[in-house]
Amino acid sequence: MTEGVAFRDIVKRYGDTVAVNGVSFTVEAGSLVTLLGPSGCGKTTILRMLAGLENVTSGTISIAGRNVTTLSASERDVSMVFQSYALFPHMNVLENVCYGLRRSGITKAPAAERAREALRQVGLDGYDRRQPSELSGGQQQRVAVARALVLRPQVLLFDEPLSNLDARLRRQMREEIRDLQQRLGLTAVYVTHDQQEALAVSDRIIVMSRGRIEQDGLPRDLYERPATSFVANFMGESSQARATVKRLDGERIVVRLGDAAFTVDDSRAADGETTVAIRPETVAIQRGPASDGALAGTITKAAYVGTHMEYTIDTAAGALFAVCPRVDRPLAPGEAVALTLAPRGIIVVA
Amino acid sequence: MTPRASSPVTALRRTALLWTAAGLMGATFLPWYAQPDSVFAFDWVSDFGTTVEASGAFSLALRHGCWWLWPLLGALLGCLSLPLLQPHRRTIGTVLTGLAGAGLVLFWLQGLAIGVSGWTTDWLVAAFGAIDGRQFGIGAGATIVLVALLALLSLGLAARGAFKGDAFIAGAVVAVTASIVLFTVWPVLRILVQAFNTTEGAFAPALLIERLSTPKIWTLRCLWGGGGCGVAWNTLFLALCCGAGTTVLGLAFALIATRTAFAYKKTLRVLTILPIITPPFVIGLGLILVFGRAGLVNQFLDNAFGIAPTRWIYGFQGVLLAQLFAFTPVAFLVMIGVVEGVSPTLEEASQTLRAGRWDTFRTVSLPLMKPGLANAFLVGFIESIADFGNPIVLGGDYGVLSTEIYFAVVGAQLDYGRAATLALLLLAFALAAFFLQRRVVGTRSYATIAGKGDAGLPVALPDGLRRLAQAIALPWAAFTGLLYVFVFVGGFVKVWGRDYTPTLQHYAKAFAVERGPDGLLWTGAAWHSFWTTVKLAAISAPLTGLLGLLAAWLLARQRFAGRAALEFATLLSFAVPGTVIGVAYVFTFNVPPLEITGTALILVLCFVFRNMPVGVRAGMAAMSQIDRSLDEASAMLRGRAPQTLAYVVLPLLRPAMVGALVYGFVRSVTTVSAVVFLVTAEYELATTYIVLRVINGDYGLAIAYSCALIVLMLVAILLIQLLVGERRLGRRAAAPVAAAPAGRA
Repeated sequence: MTEGVAFRDIVKRYGDTVAVNGVSFTVEAGSLVTLLGPSGCGKTTILRMLAGLENVTSGTISIAGRNVTTLSASERDVSMVFQSYALFPHMNVLENVCYGLRRSGITKAPAAERAREALRQVGLDGYDRRQPSELSGGQQQRVAVARALVLRPQVLLFDEPLSNLDARLRRQMREEIRDLQQRLGLTAVYVTHDQQEALAVSDRIIVMSRGRIEQDGLPRDLYERPATSFVANFMGESSQARATVKRLDGERIVVRLGDAAFTVDDSRAADGETTVAIRPETVAIQRGPASDGALAGTITKAAYVGTHMEYTIDTAAGALFAVCPRVDRPLAPGEAVALTLAPRGIIVVA
Repeated sequence: MTPRASSPVTALRRTALLWTAAGLMGATFLPWYAQPDSVFAFDWVSDFGTTVEASGAFSLALRHGCWWLWPLLGALLGCLSLPLLQPHRRTIGTVLTGLAGAGLVLFWLQGLAIGVSGWTTDWLVAAFGAIDGRQFGIGAGATIVLVALLALLSLGLAARGAFKGDAFIAGAVVAVTASIVLFTVWPVLRILVQAFNTTEGAFAPALLIERLSTPKIWTLRCLWGGGGCGVAWNTLFLALCCGAGTTVLGLAFALIATRTAFAYKKTLRVLTILPIITPPFVIGLGLILVFGRAGLVNQFLDNAFGIAPTRWIYGFQGVLLAQLFAFTPVAFLVMIGVVEGVSPTLEEASQTLRAGRWDTFRTVSLPLMKPGLANAFLVGFIESIADFGNPIVLGGDYGVLSTEIYFAVVGAQLDYGRAATLALLLLAFALAAFFLQRRVVGTRSYATIAGKGDAGLPVALPDGLRRLAQAIALPWAAFTGLLYVFVFVGGFVKVWGRDYTPTLQHYAKAFAVERGPDGLLWTGAAWHSFWTTVKLAAISAPLTGLLGLLAAWLLARQRFAGRAALEFATLLSFAVPGTVIGVAYVFTFNVPPLEITGTALILVLCFVFRNMPVGVRAGMAAMSQIDRSLDEASAMLRGRAPQTLAYVVLPLLRPAMVGALVYGFVRSVTTVSAVVFLVTAEYELATTYIVLRVINGDYGLAIAYSCALIVLMLVAILLIQLLVGERRLGRRAAAPVAAAPAGRA
């Protein structure tokens, strides 16, 4: 594997507060890695340190094997797409895209040539002379991407690039960004707080919380095998339940919730009382009292949200949250139900 | 990947060696000390190397026994060792920082320790024994070495990773800091030293207490018995009255302008531009024309009732009246902001809770304005104690600190110790008021709008209050207008008070141009000072703007160690009254190492560093409107800091640039207090010339000249606006005052 970016033991302090606390990771060349986490978790700080917009307190950053820790932003050969796009309001689209090329010492004509090529790549042919203020949000976003792409940087950085777009456009743009990144084989680091967006665009996801890495892994692993309860909560919804774990063999365990027992694939969990996370979409609900092997419960809240029903169910293992695609005959609060859980929806976190 | 010129380490080493070479060239081929005329006269070339006055640093150290230059030259020579070092940025940076830092320290130590007659203080003589060496003010060679050392220090700091590794930012921070320290902090601290010294220069701490406790400063005789009070009480009493008066007037104007259906609100706002383009003593002149011995009022009383003319206007009443006229517009500007800051929604809420208009004003609006009122009061207070023009014109026997300082330095007393003590006292008052104001402004948060859109409509004023505000403000506005008219007319009559025959003689006397055999002859009495003023103001305005915006950019956009200290220093230089700065410059810069008294340079420096804080404030306000990510985007797109400044920040900052240029120019033209100590016969300025004419009773010429100045400034404002290309002048010209109300005098 070729190393695109390497972060080693990075610490960032602002006075007494520690924003980033000993973070290390690498990004393979040609892959897209997402930093995911709630606001204030340090993900944007990491991105800005990588860009050279913030100094590190300690640790080293290297890009393509070169130590860039003390280099200024303009010397690092990285580009960034800003949350606010940061298009220069006193320049037209072409001038914006040419800006970086001109600063790198490329003369006007070849710079314009390459800028037009970049604009074509993002689907903005013929918008050269427009002012940024005359473009829609999505178009401004594309100009920002083209402006960063055109320099063919070692690393392309995205700082919550979609947060200023409406939901429909957001999906379209994230597909385009992913497409472009794979087509051109770019190394990219992407910051977002939206877990769906992260799952959709990433080769790998790094989940962060309070300045530390919680888990670093493939998108699917993160959702299905979260290492900590924080990750389990942050990656999709889940409810907490009290359970007893008993190991069956090297690969499987039995998880007992109230009177019900489920066999789950797991090679790590230890025997004993613990808390498990239950994915709401894996809870199957049957009307009537619980029979053999099912978990008995009582509906306490029911809400109709259009595409599905949302229920809160009181059980012996605690209150569970469940979604049910059947909206034709909704259950009412007070009704007794029997719950069956799919094994992949029961997550034992350390 | 984009092409790259060379690796960062190579580039760093090359730049550092270039600066070292420049410094060494300066030390070798240019005279170290200042030349009597100018280094550009080149009369030193013939003597180069033979006399101390006309030698380079190496020649001085080798042949003229100036051994104390060796250490600092050694530090510079040490930088030549860079190619021998490991090619690590950090190593090179540490070595550079150490050498350049040591060089700078040594530079100032030897400069301060050895003056025109050897060691500068007795304990140095005691420690090292007498030396026969002597030093003059630093010249071209020394300046180049100083600049080179500063540049090397910046390079070193940047290479060590400070300032995000950017050498340009490091250089800018070092340059701005060095110039503020050199031309504001050091002179002000110098006053402190002077206040402790005897006239002969010996250190005598007891003397300060003796000087401070003299009855001339602190007596309260005016309260009982006869005679006047001490100058400190005079200053404070005047300032209290001025602060209270301008606040009430300002509030009345602000209420009318924002909360009534008054038809001429726009015209009222013109009031706020007047003090910017009016030299500070013009109002005083106008008052003399109305209330002076030969003024309209006295004449009327004399003719109608046979009451003998009095000198009533000269003294406390006159100065206070003049200051009220001069500073009410500033208070007006502050109060507009305050009144508009009171959320109409809160007033509407009050009305829905059964409060009438008067109750709403009394229990909601007014309490919310309290911090703003306190702020306006302190602004008036600060303006008053810093004022020099009005007290000198109208004060008579009523001495205040600023005029007393002037007489201690310029008058027959020539007592620098006393001047320094008074300056110290004035500085203490100014800083105390300034810090109080900062605290008040800091607490106003609950009174201002929360940033959300406010849909409410301002509640109309209660009728009684509206009538009261109008009764106070409108006559006052009319009278202000009338004063300007009298000043204007006064320039066109023969002798005000005695002979009202229309004439152009004053303008002719001041601005006559005759056709001589060799072209035009500028024979008018005012031309010399006029052109000096225009020239120096035109030189200092762009410098002020540049330095101010650069400092603003650093403070608003860069995060670096010592940023808060730098911001504090610029703020502080703002609060120092002009008189104090003037005296401080005289003390500091008439002895080596920086001997520039009597030159045009000291006037330009004084203008630049007096006016720069306004540019900083305007720049910071403007920059807070520009999203920071634009700078960052430029940096990410390979734009180095200077390119980011040139292509992104400056184009977006045009309005602030106009503001800073206009301010730099206009304030340079109108200032009196600081430069009154620094002018010479060769470099005489318009304002000091006019003040002297007024003191001598030559009103006609003074008035004509003042009017010409006002016209000049209007022309200059229009010209700058045309050159830089900005349309909304009124708002821009007014904005810096609101941001920076203190310290104008």
